[in-house]
Amino acid sequence: MRKGWLRDYILKRLLYSLIIAWGILTVTFILVRVGPSSPADKYLANIAARGQDPSQVIAAIEARYGLDKPVLQQYGEYIFNLLRGNWGWSLSTSMPVIELIKHHWIYSFQLILLSSLFAAIIGILIGIYSAVKQYTKADYAFTFLSFIGISIPNFWLGVMLILVFSVKLGLFKTYYDTTLPLFSLANLKALTLPVITLGTGMLAAYVRYTRSAMLDNLRKPFVTTARAKGLPEHIVIGKHVFRNALLPLVTIIMFDLGSIVFGGAYLTEIVFGIPGLGQVSFNAIFANDYPVVVAITLIGTLVVLLVNLVTDIAYTYLDPRIRYE
Amino acid sequence: MNERKETAGKDRAAFHGGGFRLASYYWQRMARNRLAIFGLAFIIFLALVAIAGPFFTPDPTEVDFEAKNMPPVGFTITQSVYDIKTDQFITTRVSGTWKHPLGTDRKGRDMLAMIVSGARVSLQVGLLATGIAIIIGTIIGVMSAYLGGWIDNALMRFTDVMMTFPFFLLLVLIVFIFGPSLAFIVLAIGLTGWTGTARLVRSESLSLRTREFVMAAKALGASDGRVVFRHLIPNVISLIIVIATLSIPGVILAEAALSFIGLGDPTVPSWGIILEEGQHSLTTAWWVAVEPGIMLLLTVLAFNFLGDGLRDAFDPKSNV
Amino acid sequence: MQSYSRNNIILRVNDLKTYFFTRRGVVKAVDGVSFELRQGECLCLVGESGCGKSVTALSILRLFDSPPGRIVGGTVVYNSTDLASCPDQELRKVRGKEIALILQEAQSALNPVLTIGDQIIEQMKIHLPLSTDEARFKAINLLREMGIPSAEDVLNYYPHQLSGGMKQRVLVTMSLCCDPKILIADEPTTAVDVTIKAQVLDMFHQLKTKRQMSLIFITHDLAVVAEIGDRAVVMYGGRDVETAPVSEIISAPAHPYTAGLLECLPDLSREMSRLNSIPGMPPDPSKMPPGCTFHPRCPKMIDICRTQEPPLAEISKEHKVRCHLYA
Ligand SMILES: Nc1ncnc2c1ncn2[C@@H]1O[C@H](COP(=O)(O)OP(=O)(O)O)[C@@H](O)[C@H]1O
Ligand SMILES: [Mg+2]
Repeated sequence: MRKGWLRDYILKRLLYSLIIAWGILTVTFILVRVGPSSPADKYLANIAARGQDPSQVIAAIEARYGLDKPVLQQYGEYIFNLLRGNWGWSLSTSMPVIELIKHHWIYSFQLILLSSLFAAIIGILIGIYSAVKQYTKADYAFTFLSFIGISIPNFWLGVMLILVFSVKLGLFKTYYDTTLPLFSLANLKALTLPVITLGTGMLAAYVRYTRSAMLDNLRKPFVTTARAKGLPEHIVIGKHVFRNALLPLVTIIMFDLGSIVFGGAYLTEIVFGIPGLGQVSFNAIFANDYPVVVAITLIGTLVVLLVNLVTDIAYTYLDPRIRYE
Repeated sequence: MNERKETAGKDRAAFHGGGFRLASYYWQRMARNRLAIFGLAFIIFLALVAIAGPFFTPDPTEVDFEAKNMPPVGFTITQSVYDIKTDQFITTRVSGTWKHPLGTDRKGRDMLAMIVSGARVSLQVGLLATGIAIIIGTIIGVMSAYLGGWIDNALMRFTDVMMTFPFFLLLVLIVFIFGPSLAFIVLAIGLTGWTGTARLVRSESLSLRTREFVMAAKALGASDGRVVFRHLIPNVISLIIVIATLSIPGVILAEAALSFIGLGDPTVPSWGIILEEGQHSLTTAWWVAVEPGIMLLLTVLAFNFLGDGLRDAFDPKSNV
Repeated sequence: MQSYSRNNIILRVNDLKTYFFTRRGVVKAVDGVSFELRQGECLCLVGESGCGKSVTALSILRLFDSPPGRIVGGTVVYNSTDLASCPDQELRKVRGKEIALILQEAQSALNPVLTIGDQIIEQMKIHLPLSTDEARFKAINLLREMGIPSAEDVLNYYPHQLSGGMKQRVLVTMSLCCDPKILIADEPTTAVDVTIKAQVLDMFHQLKTKRQMSLIFITHDLAVVAEIGDRAVVMYGGRDVETAPVSEIISAPAHPYTAGLLECLPDLSREMSRLNSIPGMPPDPSKMPPGCTFHPRCPKMIDICRTQEPPLAEISKEHKVRCHLYA
């Protein structure tokens, strides 16, 4: 009886997500294309040095990449190509955008994945502990620390970690070493500081969310029932209370993902020189490489939308009372 | 989602009289939260520094290569300095002096002066951009709740799109394209940061709209505008105050982050710009990166403490 | 009426005191309650709302919120163990296995995100040497016994899919699944409508007659007491003010408070039901009046009531009352 409405709901949401993604694609495209600067700008110095006429060369370059056509036509062609699976050509790196993304996505992925795991596991455990021990010294200490954690600017935290652990103590390289094989201990070690940088804010936020979600449920009658049944405390807390606290928690955590992917991860990659998609799109913005900017924005948006959808579906299993129309 | 329990005492007719007593009641509730008081005290201190500080500090842009890379008072570092006369690097020990209490950067600019100037930038950006975002968010939220129907639908879908939009990337794009001036940064943050406010204000207004006193006002023939301005907005004000306080840190951080990646207004030294510079001189002058970060952390922390305390004070459910 | 002897006492609560240490002061929710539960009887705790019935029930298994609550005195003796002071480990073996408790908040007493089956079976697996399948089988049989149709399906339901009456039955099933010796039911008839109330009472009757359970049945309704109780403890202001067989409570109440409660009963012999109530409010347990806690509302108050706590007076071997009129 559940399957029918759920499938309809998923289809509806997918369609909705696509529309939002298209809206964001359009806004990004317009922003990038109406800007005063041109992808050809970076050749200007060269051109001047060689004594050529800049306007002619720029016109030639723009013609080559189709930048001289009306913006609307460029937009139409871009969408048309996208629908055929063609993500365009990166102007600044001279390779297909899809190749560029294929080459760099894993660096962002590993950073975000490891940071999320680190933050979620530790944050949720501390949050549970803090709630169970409400108003004790430990609870106050964790609450205070979590305040600092959410307040600390993560790019500054990254710089401080580099200052202390790399510059002063020499435990880590000051830069992320891209030559390391992905699945190696050395790579894990190289990711330590970036993961702490990106994970600390998340961790602190998870402590706060978990604590308050647990407190909302700890005094509910069904918890007393669970204790009255003679269940040991770890089942009462870990199963009965936590399963209920998980509902708001999942929503908030997933909701945060967008700002983490586009804010925190972006800055962390720049601080540590990790060649992920954040770094790539950062460089692309400064190089006016609009196909890359648009493509990465689109991918990021799609990931966030997809995660939101998966969360909503997971929710129907976590909370049997939920039914979406 | 977050179901806000309907609670008695929230329908504060007190906004139409006895406002002072109410304010002092909330003040007492908040005063019990020591962290919130710390936050408030720090913010006041920072505001004073931002306003009066520049009269007491040297010009933050004044370059003095004679006194470059001086550590803060109480610290001593060893420096390698190139000596023109002997054509050799000589190692000297340099200690901080009271002339530059917080030290100097690699161009010999006074760190204290730059920090004070940065405080001004951060508070300006924080207050102005939050103000813009809150005003837009409140208008959209109240309109959505009060007008309902397709307008509500359209506005909320639009909010959805804005919410899904990668906020920081959008900022980077806008600032890159239109140039890094402080006014633009403020405008960009304000124009993109209203979505959360709109949502919260909408749901609060929706629950208020059906309360007795609004119904009564409508039954008595009050016009829509009157109902909105005399009844709805005053009653969501406590919510707005809390949202504003808790939004300011995000805005300050956004400006700092933009400056940090090189998209700050180069004409005004802000904490983010100092930090960006400090990042490149970690080995020679660590304090340049440390000091603006500590200020950022304390400022953000103070607003978070205050916002949290205000929320608890306004929330009838919590017993502070 | 059932016969009972003094010897087979299964649970003895002696001078129990449970206080809540809140920011606003000490709430003496239970302040010296004593009673005994005999094998196979139905003992009713009765009194107005707020007089400490629920906290008494929770205190037997130490289930009140702690902090702020704490047992500050007295004993709860079961099987020669003092449940008020024994280690948590031992108490956990009693909870659900020896003494089961059904909470007053029946509608929210089940975990909303776990299936009924899960919630019943997890308890059996803790206390009984049963496999999951055996536990399941037992649960189905018990649900049937409690008059739940299509019991197999109900095991896969979530609480929100059940009606109020069904939830009550599921809770009773859950409390019985480990064959406890004692069942404590906190106002099981209060939140349900009249038809279901009759069914619930019927269900508890059956537990007594068919299973020889010892019941502690909490209610604020003397009519329910008359229907199901063998003996009753009347509570007021956190104390037991009168203890007697139900027949005596109904026919010859000793304490003015009990008499007042009886007055409030809708009089079925008349055309119009007369709904009296005792004037005044029950005391705030953080500001108990001195002397007899009932004196501000008592129609028969004498001077001594204001200052001195009434001693326990024996009207007969089975009938005790805390009132200066009988001292
Ligand atoms: N967790 C608690 N904290 C503070 N006071 C409590 C708590 N639980 C119960 N009380 C107080 O104890 C008194 C008795 O409550 P209760 O036993 O629930 O009464 P009832 O007879 O209606 O079941 C009430 O005044 C109540 O306010
Ligand atoms: Mg009760």
